[in-house]
Amino acid sequence: MWDGMMSGMMTGIATTMIPMNIAMVLFGCFMGSLIGMLPGLGPITAVALMIPVTYGLEPTTGMVLLAGVYYGAIFGGSTSSILINAPGEAATVATALDGYPLARQGHPGKALAVAAYSSFSGGTVSVIFLMIFAPMLASVATSFQSVDYFALMILGLTAVSAFSGRGGVLKALAMVVVGLMLATVGTDQTSGVQRFTFGSLELLDGIEFLLLAMATFALTEALSLVLNRDESSDSLKPKSIGLKSLKVTKKEFKLIAPSIARSSILGFFIGVLPGAGATLGSFMAYGMERNLAPPEERAKFGKGSLRGLAAPETGNNAASSGSFVPLLCLGIPGSGTTAVMLGALIAYGIEPGPRMFTDSPEVFWGVIMSMYLGNVFLLILNLPLIPYFARLLAIPKNFMVPMILFFSLMGVYLVTFNDFDIQMMVIFCIAAMALRLMNFPMAPLLLGFILGGLMEDNLRRGLMIYNDSISFMWERPLTLGINLTTLFILLFPIIRSFLLSRKNGGTKEAAV
Amino acid sequence: MAQNEFFTARTMPYALSVVGIVLSLLIIIMPTVDDEGKKSLPEATDGMDWKKAIFLVVAMVAYGFTMKWLGFIIASIVFLIVGFYILGERRIKTMLLAAIPLVVVLWFVMSSLLGVYIAPGEIFYMLGVL
Repeated sequence: MWDGMMSGMMTGIATTMIPMNIAMVLFGCFMGSLIGMLPGLGPITAVALMIPVTYGLEPTTGMVLLAGVYYGAIFGGSTSSILINAPGEAATVATALDGYPLARQGHPGKALAVAAYSSFSGGTVSVIFLMIFAPMLASVATSFQSVDYFALMILGLTAVSAFSGRGGVLKALAMVVVGLMLATVGTDQTSGVQRFTFGSLELLDGIEFLLLAMATFALTEALSLVLNRDESSDSLKPKSIGLKSLKVTKKEFKLIAPSIARSSILGFFIGVLPGAGATLGSFMAYGMERNLAPPEERAKFGKGSLRGLAAPETGNNAASSGSFVPLLCLGIPGSGTTAVMLGALIAYGIEPGPRMFTDSPEVFWGVIMSMYLGNVFLLILNLPLIPYFARLLAIPKNFMVPMILFFSLMGVYLVTFNDFDIQMMVIFCIAAMALRLMNFPMAPLLLGFILGGLMEDNLRRGLMIYNDSISFMWERPLTLGINLTTLFILLFPIIRSFLLSRKNGGTKEAAV
Repeated sequence: MAQNEFFTARTMPYALSVVGIVLSLLIIIMPTVDDEGKKSLPEATDGMDWKKAIFLVVAMVAYGFTMKWLGFIIASIVFLIVGFYILGERRIKTMLLAAIPLVVVLWFVMSSLLGVYIAPGEIFYMLGVL
C-alpha cells in the first residue's frame, strides 16, 4: 500500500510541479479568495463561475484550478465573515461568531491571521489523511457493482438532504427529486427515446449542468443582493487593516494549537461523510471546542475567543478536503461544491469513480498534491494581501451585481454559443428565487441533477444483471449495508427531534 | 437494441413523479419544523426591492435576445450599462469606464488568447460592414 502511495505521490508531485499547474493553483486560490470574499457568493458560485475558464485546459489543470478556487473561496468567505459579519455562505457562519467580535474589539488583523493559520493547518492535516484514506477506499471500491453505486448515490442524495440544514429534510428531498427530474430531460442514452424535449432541438442533449449551477447559484445569489435592502448601503466598507496587526503571539499559538489539532481530525471525517461538508465541519468543531473549554474560556465564546475562531476555521477547511474523498474515490460528491466539480470532471470526459484512481492517476494525485501547494499559497500569499483584498468589499453593489450577472450569463454562452440557454437560465433563476424564498435548499437540486443520469444507468444495469428483480437491495450484503445507512440517515433527524423534545419536556417539568 | 422490457425510458420519470407527489403531500401535511419556513410568503418577502430585481431579469432576457443580433461586445456593454443604471448609477463616464474595458479585454482573451470563435452580430452583415 505504502509503495503505491509513494509512487502516487510522485505522480502527483510531477503533475503539480508543471509551471502551468503551479500558476493555476495560484490563480485558483486568488480568484477563489476574491469571489468568496464577496458577501453572498460562496464556493459553489466561485467554482461554477470559473468552470468556463477551465474548458480550454487539460483535465488535470482544470481540476487543480477548481480545487484552488474551492479552498480559496472558503478562505475568502472567512475574511468577509470576520471583517463585516457577512459570511459568504453557511460554512463560514461559525467563523463570524467569534471572528467578528474580535475584529470589533480592534483586532481584525489578529482574527484574520488566526483564521489563516487555522485554515492552513486544517487543510494540511486533512490532505495527509486524504492521501492515506483515498487510495484505500478507491481500492475497496473497485469491487463495487452497479447496484452498489446506485445504493451509494441514494445514500449521498439522502445525506445531502438530511444535512442541508435549510428548510428541513422533506424540502431538501423534494429538491433532490426535482434535480433528478431535470436530469431526465433530453435523449435517453440507452433507448434513444426523447424525454421532455417538447420537440425543441435545444433540449435534445438535455440541460447543461453549468447552466443550472449558474442559474441556481450565481444568478440567484446576485439577485438576492438586490432584493434584500438590509445591506443595501452602497458598499460594505471594512475598517482599514494595518499589516502590523496581523501578528499572533506565541502564547496565543499555544492556546489554539490543541483546538486546531482536534478540529482538523473531526473536520476531515465529517467532510468524508456524503452530504456533510464544510458547514457541518465548522459547526461541529465549534461545538466540540466550546464543550471542551474550561468555564472561564467557555464564557469568552461568542465574544471574541481565539479558540472559538480557530476551531470552525480549521473544521471547515479540513472538511472541504475531506469531501474530496467520496468525489475522487467513488465519483459521488459529498457536497454542493464537489457536485459542481463532478459535473466538470464529466464534461472533461473523465469517468469519476474508483477507476479514475487507476485510469487517470495524474488527475487523482494531481488534485491531492495541488492541495498542499494551495494551502501554502493561501498562507504566504493571501495573508499579506488581505488588506488589499478587503478593499474589494468597498466596490458598490451598483457595479458588482451586474458584473456577476454578466459573468454568469457569458460563462454559459461562451460554452454553448446558444442564446436559448440564456433564456433558459433566466427561467431557472426565477424558479430558484421563488423556491429560495420558500426556504427550499438549492444544493440538493444540483446534486440530484448531476447524479441523475449516473443513477439511472446504474439501476438499469443492475436490473439487467439481477433479471429485473430489485432483490439486490436486500440480498447483496454490501448493498444492504449501504441501504441501512441511508435509512438511518433519513430517520436520524426524526429520532433527534423526538429525543430533543423529550429532553426539553423533561427540563420544563424539572423547572416547574 | 438492448432495451430492457422492465426498465424503459419511461420508468425513471414515472418513479420520480410518484416520489415527487408523495414528498409534496408530506410537505403540505407535516408540521413545518424550520422557523424560516413558518413565515408566510408576504412575511418572507417583506421590504424586498422587487422593482430593481424585475428590471434586472428583463435586462437579462433582453441580453439573450440581442446577443445574436448585436454581437457579444455591443450586447454585453449595453447589458452592463443598463444593469448599472437599474441599480442607481447615474455617472455615464464611470459606467462606460467600467463596462467597455471589461468586455473588450474579455473578448480579446477569449478570441485571441484562448482561440474561442465568437461570431459577430448579424446586424454587421445586414449593414454590409462585414
